[in-house]
Amino acid sequence: MAIKDIGSFQQTLGNADAKGWSRSVDNNSSDSFNIETGKGFDIEESGGAKSFGEMLSESIGKVNAMQTEANVAMEKLASGESQNLHETLLAVEKADIAFRTMNQVRTKVIDAYREIMKMQI
Amino acid sequence: MDVNDKTLHALTTALNFREMRQELISSNVANANTPGFKAKKLDFEEALARALDVDGQMKMNATDGRHYNVGGGSFNNLEPEIYDNPNGVVSENGNTVDVEAEMAQMAENKLMYDALVQLINKKMGIMKYAINSEK
Amino acid sequence: MDLLSSLRISSSGLAAQRKRMEAHSSNIANAQTTKTAEGGPYRRKEVVFGSEPARDTFSEILEGELAENAQTVHATEVVHSDKVQMKHDPTHPDADPVTGYVAMPDVNPMVEMANMIEAQRAYESNITAINTTKQMAMKTLEIGRGN
Repeated sequence: MAIKDIGSFQQTLGNADAKGWSRSVDNNSSDSFNIETGKGFDIEESGGAKSFGEMLSESIGKVNAMQTEANVAMEKLASGESQNLHETLLAVEKADIAFRTMNQVRTKVIDAYREIMKMQI
Repeated sequence: MDVNDKTLHALTTALNFREMRQELISSNVANANTPGFKAKKLDFEEALARALDVDGQMKMNATDGRHYNVGGGSFNNLEPEIYDNPNGVVSENGNTVDVEAEMAQMAENKLMYDALVQLINKKMGIMKYAINSEK
Repeated sequence: MDLLSSLRISSSGLAAQRKRMEAHSSNIANAQTTKTAEGGPYRRKEVVFGSEPARDTFSEILEGELAENAQTVHATEVVHSDKVQMKHDPTHPDADPVTGYVAMPDVNPMVEMANMIEAQRAYESNITAINTTKQMAMKTLEIGRGN
């Protein structure tokens, strides 16, 4: 497209309507998606993206569950109920790593927060 | 995770009992030729499993002060069970000690003891790590 | 403390087996001795083991079931056999001049060797017990180290 001057440039931009594009792609309800509301995106849960806070609390819940699992495995080993030494040690290591990872994430999040607070508006 | 949590208590209790078991096995081995000596066994697994109540299946309500505390966390009055080994092979002087079996028991006991110490160390390590990581 | 008690029990086993070795090696060494200080041939020696509770002080005895059941072993007595073997050997200096029989110790080398081997095996198993106990104690010291 030839842009002769500012005026025609603005006209070209006006013609390039993103919403118009999306509407023209395919109007079957299963395939169309709307950028504004986010409906139709194929993500894990239907109904929209999760917030960062939700993701964090879900991860903490998972780490906690792994800790509980490791605790149960240790108790079973101590009382002789399970003879699986390797499984117990593996469960404990997994919980250990998960905890340390979460701790690092926490540190990084706090650092990022501090960075942001340092920014002068 | 606090310092008094059930798992740590379970691990240390098991450690105590395995120490007692080692003493009993040493006694059996030392008396392998004593006439009339009966080999002894020490069992603590059942008592510990009951006190831990890992699956939550054994809850009973103690409604009277004289009721035994069953299930869930009563570690203070755990007693091991010590009895004559029923699998003893009686030799002609009345001794029932099987030295090879005792040695195998000793090796297994030592291995589990080491595993328990390692697990305790891991738990303590994680707690210390959580305390130390500041910044 | 249970592990120290274990060491005491195992070392009592070692002492007892050593006495047993002494008795049987003495038997082998004196298999041909026909004249001893008390007169007469060498009497075959054998040790008898007895066990007793490992806890000696009174407060330890109160410690419950383990206290009664963990036993140290002692070579409680040395039994001298009264038996002698009579061998017909008129050329022997200690032979009875009339009958030509000489009283020999009732020592069968096979039996003595078997006993010595058994004593050695038992000694080794007590050594293993001591080593295991010692390793358990060292492992206990590792709790909290290096964290």
